[in-house]
Amino acid sequence: MATIKFNEVKRNIFVSIGVILNLIFLITIFYMFGEISIHLIKLNEFLDIYLKIDKLSIMFSLLVAILWIFTTFYAMEYMKHEGKEKRFFTFFLATLGVTIGIAFAGNLITLYAFYEFLTLTTFPLVIHTDSKEALKSGKKYLIYSFIGATFVLLGMILLFSITKDITFNAHGILPALTKENRSLYLLSYVSMFLGFGVKAAIVPFHSWLPAAMVAPTPVSALLHAVAVVKSGIFAIIRMSYFIFGAKIIKELHVNIFLSILIVISILLGSFLALHQENLKKRLAYSTISQLGYVLLGVVLLNEDAFVGSLLHLINHALIKIVLFFCVGAIMYTTGKTDISQIRGIGKQMPITMGCFGIAAISLIGIPPTNGFVSKWYLAQGGLTSGEMIFPAILLFSALLTALYLLPVITEAFFKKGEHTIVKEAPMKMLIPIVMITIIVVLLGLFPNILITFIQQIASEVI
Amino acid sequence: MEGLMNNYYETGSIILFGIGFAILLLHNNLIKKIIGMNIMDTAVFLFFIAKGYVSGKDAPIIIGAHKGVQGYINPVPSALMLTGIVVAVSTTAFALALTVRIYEGYGSIELDEIIKMRSD
Amino acid sequence: MSIIQSFPLVIILVLLITAFMMPLIKNTKIIKGISLVSMTSVMILALINLDFVHKNGEYLYRIGHFNAPYGIEFRIGIIEAMMGLLFTFVALMIIWYSIYSIEKEIKQSKIGLYYLLVNILIGSLLGVVYSNDLFNCFVFIEVGTLASCGTIIVKDKKENIKATLKYLIMSCLGSGLVLMGIAYLYSMTGHLNINYIHAELVKCYLIYPNAVLISIVLFIIGLGVKSAMFPLHNWLPDAHSSAPSSSSAILSSLVLKAFVLLLIKILYGVFGMDILNHFSVLNIVLILGSLGMIMGSVFAIFQKNIKRVIAYSTVAQMGYIFLGIGLGTNLGVSIAIFHIIGHAVTKSALFLLAGAMIEQTGHKSLAQLKGIGREMPLTLGLFSIGALSMIGIPVLPGFISKWHLSLASIAAGDTILIVVILLSSLLNAVYYSPIVINGFFGEENLQGKVYKSKSKPLKELMPVIFLVISMIYVGIASRGIINLISLGLM
Repeated sequence: MATIKFNEVKRNIFVSIGVILNLIFLITIFYMFGEISIHLIKLNEFLDIYLKIDKLSIMFSLLVAILWIFTTFYAMEYMKHEGKEKRFFTFFLATLGVTIGIAFAGNLITLYAFYEFLTLTTFPLVIHTDSKEALKSGKKYLIYSFIGATFVLLGMILLFSITKDITFNAHGILPALTKENRSLYLLSYVSMFLGFGVKAAIVPFHSWLPAAMVAPTPVSALLHAVAVVKSGIFAIIRMSYFIFGAKIIKELHVNIFLSILIVISILLGSFLALHQENLKKRLAYSTISQLGYVLLGVVLLNEDAFVGSLLHLINHALIKIVLFFCVGAIMYTTGKTDISQIRGIGKQMPITMGCFGIAAISLIGIPPTNGFVSKWYLAQGGLTSGEMIFPAILLFSALLTALYLLPVITEAFFKKGEHTIVKEAPMKMLIPIVMITIIVVLLGLFPNILITFIQQIASEVI
Repeated sequence: MEGLMNNYYETGSIILFGIGFAILLLHNNLIKKIIGMNIMDTAVFLFFIAKGYVSGKDAPIIIGAHKGVQGYINPVPSALMLTGIVVAVSTTAFALALTVRIYEGYGSIELDEIIKMRSD
Repeated sequence: MSIIQSFPLVIILVLLITAFMMPLIKNTKIIKGISLVSMTSVMILALINLDFVHKNGEYLYRIGHFNAPYGIEFRIGIIEAMMGLLFTFVALMIIWYSIYSIEKEIKQSKIGLYYLLVNILIGSLLGVVYSNDLFNCFVFIEVGTLASCGTIIVKDKKENIKATLKYLIMSCLGSGLVLMGIAYLYSMTGHLNINYIHAELVKCYLIYPNAVLISIVLFIIGLGVKSAMFPLHNWLPDAHSSAPSSSSAILSSLVLKAFVLLLIKILYGVFGMDILNHFSVLNIVLILGSLGMIMGSVFAIFQKNIKRVIAYSTVAQMGYIFLGIGLGTNLGVSIAIFHIIGHAVTKSALFLLAGAMIEQTGHKSLAQLKGIGREMPLTLGLFSIGALSMIGIPVLPGFISKWHLSLASIAAGDTILIVVILLSSLLNAVYYSPIVINGFFGEENLQGKVYKSKSKPLKELMPVIFLVISMIYVGIASRGIINLISLGLM
């Protein structure tokens, strides 16, 4: 795509066909083949690019592919204001490919390779505006990502010295824990957790995420609410359950230490979100907090928590995209970015702010939206683990979520604003917003299809 | 200690090597550095050739009758060192030519002055 | 004895003879043609030779039908044959590139001289690699030193002269130490042929422990000076950054490698694992290698001239090789040799591209090279691929070297080295990324730059494209290459 010259219409058609074909292709593979695997290149006994599709991959790749289509249409309209569309869409498509590569990775080295490629393909998207500030944020992103990748590599090498085979397998592939290799396992796990955790914005490695809000909104929405951060979490899930296995992690007792870190992420994210004036930054800190929810479910190591965490992975992706798209629509039509500037805009952009409201309610966790379902399961998982503190934290954080999201709605709907006439967002942006909001509500009312599927994954793993 | 005294050629060559090395490092003048380099190389030649010496035997040139292999010192080191000397001479020549060019360019052959002048 | 067995000698002779023909011809076009043709033909010979050795195993070739230990012999094993192919291939690419660019860097009258020196240099490097006789190696080392000094000084600027003098004096110091080491070995064993020395040494090393120790140390320091081991690397940044681009490429990617190969041959061929373990001198090499890896990158971060950045990066990469040697296991040495191959193709490509950028814009400093991605997109794109290999992105040879070195460290019991290796690759990212990022992105960088305005025509960049493709190939075929190397070390 980088090399052919396009005019605008042809380019838009090309990109849309690309993403839609991708989705059709994915669905076809799943229906026809079920779970398959191919060795792409086998360079030597470890450097083996191995793609394997299992239920977890199906879930993640479908999520990514579907959301990518919506974002494509949204971006086609939004990027008219930003310019340099050719470069944008080139790396946009490339990132899609790399993310699906992460979803399909069948062993740790393939995951790591695609992980590095993800950093490379998302970097031009982050610094899209080419301003000084964008370059600084981009540099921060790059530094954090490479440091994270180095930690992952350290963990991988330590792991490889024990096993030699790093293919994913439910229940883990490692030999049992013994006195000698305990410290090696511990070091390897923590190192890889922190390394992948950089992309998943765990405190203290989270500060690249708000800085990356300097990117255009479709980038922020897709990459930082869905693709990049969820890839980090996906990688942690793969690493924890499919390499180490739930049993070994429990024996290592490392989940206690990590859960402290995660709890700090949840609380700190929500607190900092309260202080942000800029809407996108507020949503960014909210993401940090919500990712903590998902990771909490991963380290609690019981079935309910795991179901809750995968559910929340999907739900948060949907919700966050709606939230970001709405904020982007506001920026597109009015150019306003801060919460104090959007007074009364609800009257003029009712559909947009309405969807924002529904998504916000879902994030706080009020029925009948999907956010409620995933939080319910997480709370169940917290109870099962025996520690009362986890559900308490979940409740407290829900309160904080309300505190930082509701003001946006109140400012928009219930205050009198300036009387400049603003139009509702254009169709190409509005339709994705509305459609995803409908999915949010539907998944809240009829979550069972998704839950059964996820429970299948969970039962294999725990 | 008596080992050192007995093999006085080798001892002398190592001392000479050290002197040459010291001159190479410590003096500022480029010509003196090149002289130091030469002394170092010469020390190695001395060492090598001394290794070929067998006491009481003649130089390996046949005058009159051939005394058999036992009658002469080991000629191999001397032959090798001829090559070494050639190499040292060519390197010295090259280094001296470079020194001339440095003098033309910088106007001095004292290394500290040249470093100060390195303004490009 | 098949005729193919004499190819290594033929290669060296062809290079030397064509070299001496060049000053007699006045027309520069014909000189360039002869250089290209000679290098291509020796590359084909090296390829046939590698194939032969792969099928038939290693052999010893007596020169002039004089038997060792009285005559000189060449030992051609798989590793030597691979190195032959590597050197001739990289040299061919560099010469091809230089055909277009050399006029801009040196005077017209000196071009014949330049190609003469290049041919002599490659011939002598191959001699160092192939020869099985220590003194023969020494002679080739000296020829190589003088020829490489010549390739730097052929460009007549003040900074070149100073750099060359420093290089010459340090090199002579190194050669003097090596010669002293050879003298010690000769005095103990009475032989100069590597195999014979080894046979004698294992019998008698316990009788003269001090002498053996001194000779090992002399060789390590002497060859360390010539291949830029850490504290002895001072000559390298000046020499490699002030030389013409094709000379820098040859120096960084080939010359250093021939000397470190000789070090490997001496340490493991002459002395062997038992003696080395008895004296535990390899730890020095290990420590100096690790220090080099870190300090080389640290120095590179502070440099403002793009060629100096790449030169310090070379110091860091040589540190990897010394680390591999210092580990003292078969795997360590195999990875060191694999890194030699990977680094040779990568670094030559990087230097040639940097030369292209300097030549087209007239600027050397990083600050003035910002935004060059828009003016020379293909050039900077190829540079980024090379930089990605240095940083350690999977599939490229840099990553594979790091991975295997880490595994070898664990196997040898020094797990702390993994941290050093990973830290060094992170540091690599610190100074390579700004070059690429400031070249391609950044609004204030790209202001006023016209797209493709300074781009070099495709035919001039072809050799670099081949080098980059071969780099990616080395990465992909790494398993086969490493297996081949291990086979050769048996």
